[in-house]
Amino acid sequence: VIRYTLTRLALLLLGLLVASVLIFLTLRVLPGDVAQLIGGVDSSPAQLAALRRQLGLDQPLWAQYVDWIGGVIHGDLGNSLLTGTSVAQELAQKAQVTVPLGIMALTIAVLFSVPLGVVSAMRRGRRGGTVLTFGAQTLAAVPVVWAGMMFVVVFAVWLGWLPAQGFPRSGWADPWAALRSLILPALTIGIVEGAMLMRFVRSATLQAVGQDYVRTAAAKGLTRNAALIRHGLPDVGLSVITVLGLQVAGIIVGAVVIEQLFSLPGIGRMLVADVSARDLPKVQGELLALTAFVLIVGFVVDLVHRLLDPRQREAA
Amino acid sequence: MLRRTALAATALLASAALLLTACTGGGTTSASETGTPNPNASAVIRLVLEPGNLDIRQTAGSALDQILIDNVYQGLVARTPKQDIVPALASAWTVSSDGLTYAFTLREGVKFHDGQDLTPQDVVWSLTTRKNTAAFSDSARLANVTSIKAEGQTITLTLSQPDSSLLWNLTGRAGLIFKEGDKVDYKTKENGTGPFTLKEWVQGDHITFERSDAYWGDKAKVKEVVFDYIPDNQAALNAALAGEVDVVTGFDANLKKQIEANGDFTLELGKSTDKGTLAMNQTAGSPLADKRVRQAIRQAIDHQAIVKALASGQTMYGPIPALDPGYEDLSSVAPFDPAAAKKLLAQAGVKNLTLTLKIPNFYGTTIPQILVSNLNDVGITLKVDSIDFSTWLNDVFINHDYQLSFVLHTEAHDFENWANPKYYFTYDNPKVQELYTQSLAATDPATAADLLKQAAKIVSEDAAADWLYNGASVVAVGRGIGGMPITNVNERLNVTALTKSDG
Repeated sequence: VIRYTLTRLALLLLGLLVASVLIFLTLRVLPGDVAQLIGGVDSSPAQLAALRRQLGLDQPLWAQYVDWIGGVIHGDLGNSLLTGTSVAQELAQKAQVTVPLGIMALTIAVLFSVPLGVVSAMRRGRRGGTVLTFGAQTLAAVPVVWAGMMFVVVFAVWLGWLPAQGFPRSGWADPWAALRSLILPALTIGIVEGAMLMRFVRSATLQAVGQDYVRTAAAKGLTRNAALIRHGLPDVGLSVITVLGLQVAGIIVGAVVIEQLFSLPGIGRMLVADVSARDLPKVQGELLALTAFVLIVGFVVDLVHRLLDPRQREAA
Repeated sequence: MLRRTALAATALLASAALLLTACTGGGTTSASETGTPNPNASAVIRLVLEPGNLDIRQTAGSALDQILIDNVYQGLVARTPKQDIVPALASAWTVSSDGLTYAFTLREGVKFHDGQDLTPQDVVWSLTTRKNTAAFSDSARLANVTSIKAEGQTITLTLSQPDSSLLWNLTGRAGLIFKEGDKVDYKTKENGTGPFTLKEWVQGDHITFERSDAYWGDKAKVKEVVFDYIPDNQAALNAALAGEVDVVTGFDANLKKQIEANGDFTLELGKSTDKGTLAMNQTAGSPLADKRVRQAIRQAIDHQAIVKALASGQTMYGPIPALDPGYEDLSSVAPFDPAAAKKLLAQAGVKNLTLTLKIPNFYGTTIPQILVSNLNDVGITLKVDSIDFSTWLNDVFINHDYQLSFVLHTEAHDFENWANPKYYFTYDNPKVQELYTQSLAATDPATAADLLKQAAKIVSEDAAADWLYNGASVVAVGRGIGGMPITNVNERLNVTALTKSDG
């Protein structure tokens, strides 16, 4: 297991390095630059040259990359070209919105998909199961933006229960208000992601029903459902953990969209704003942090999977 | 030299800024509220475009001018929404009859937000530093100033030649006064003399101003003003209906019914200097170098239909909007007439013309759709290239690599771009440049305006571009709010007189 872990860790680092190069180069392809945006439309060429020098944009590409990655290795993600604030600090501040949002969305997705997925598998062929499956298909096909707007119309505008947009200006100083402002966005991402997860749970459960050990348990006198729940579900759980790892990336993408829709001051909205402002050091710092996060989640999921699955444990 | 601010701002506002038809009468602020204003109130105003940073000395973008000038930073003089020039840090001024000497009387007892006194030397230093620092916005606007001196409380500016735009320029970035040698981090903090101090800025969310109780003039009537940056109009509508904001600026007049539905908001339309400008690249070799082709495009476009689709604003047929000096109705120069347009194209020998329009992506699809359809009717195929603003700056603004371009130019008094052949408009007419120079040198405002009017007429007759509409400030004002400016708020939003009553 230790050797396995080390190998995976090396792969993780390699992946990050490759990602950093890709992120760096892709961003350099974008037309336009931050000096132009700061200088504005009446800036003279001399003024632009001075700004570029001041911002370090006149260095060769490789030097800019080495400078950046050197900082990253020492734990410094760089500074914003526009405000001079540290990227790590900005990320930490915006994470106060995005991390709770992600956790809530994931929790909602799991809470709603696992029971419904299992039920719809067990009711397969009956009316309840069909309705559930159909509902999940529909929800999974719904664009996140549309779902979000519907929730806003119903819960914020008609019923007035929850805020329509924004995050309390005092942040988490008022935890209840902060939590309330995240409910609709989290519900939006959670339901759409959950619908996809539910279809997965359903097919994993169906697969488990067909397994020999479940049939054996049923043959030994358990009802089919009891056999499934006692012997089949642990297997389903393993698969779900794997998929959840992938789902994290989906939730991050969802957060980028949903933070725009709900005007939440989180990482996603910051990212979009920084791209249009061509604040490249900030964008690459943010992207690298997100990439690292997804890769680390994948790494942890692999490890957990290995520890929990007896077959893989033995193989190691 | 251009006004950088206009474009950036422009862009962002654009999405928001489709304006109303006939602008409401002469009022420049919302109707006053009947309740008793609460001096401890916090008023929340939705804005569209957030500044990249707060360094108004050198960062372009009207998002900075909009909130920082008048509220936080001040100059010797200021402008009202009606574009009148009024005293600010100077209590009075005189101009010599030859137009070469401006003498300002500096107020006494003015303090910066950090408690230091404003001295005449601070004024001299601020103006001199700006004039001599090319990297600062608008430094070229002080080019005609040869000396800046203080004697007692009198600040004297001496010019090399008369400049009818000087006072106006001093109401903008060129005239802002800072503390000499200040070490403030201007990107995220401030130290001005205005009625508000910066309380906090949470990037990507809001900026909060707090009343300065040490302010030298009439103090602000609310304790704090929160500028809530909500780019999307639908989200802004939801926020308004849920009672999360008190005022919505940069709104879409097509959503009037929705926002007024529960009776808490009233939609108001103020005049603005927003000019929806369809630039035509007329450098040699372009199909648009032929004036007949440009005129054909102008006559092919149904400007009334555009104004109707925006549910706000008014038509304009020349480069100067009604709020600015030198305006006249030029609708007869390019009346909507597809048949005449076809004839002009035939005369120019143009067949099967295909043109590409570059448009920043936040402007939406309304305008391009109308243009595609109108031009198709006269046999021109229009391709729409929707690009982000940075790309637009690079391609169109810097490299002049475009055929048609649409941008909303928001800045007031920006005729100079038509007299600058290096601007992205690519318009070069020595007669216009001559008239503009004469207008600047005029010592009497009426003469200056008349010369601008003559120049503007030539620009329109040359079909130097097309002006799709003159936007309006679309502002929804909540119940309990009084004193909200509604004229040209995309450019300036002075909230000193804003009141909010309870309930």
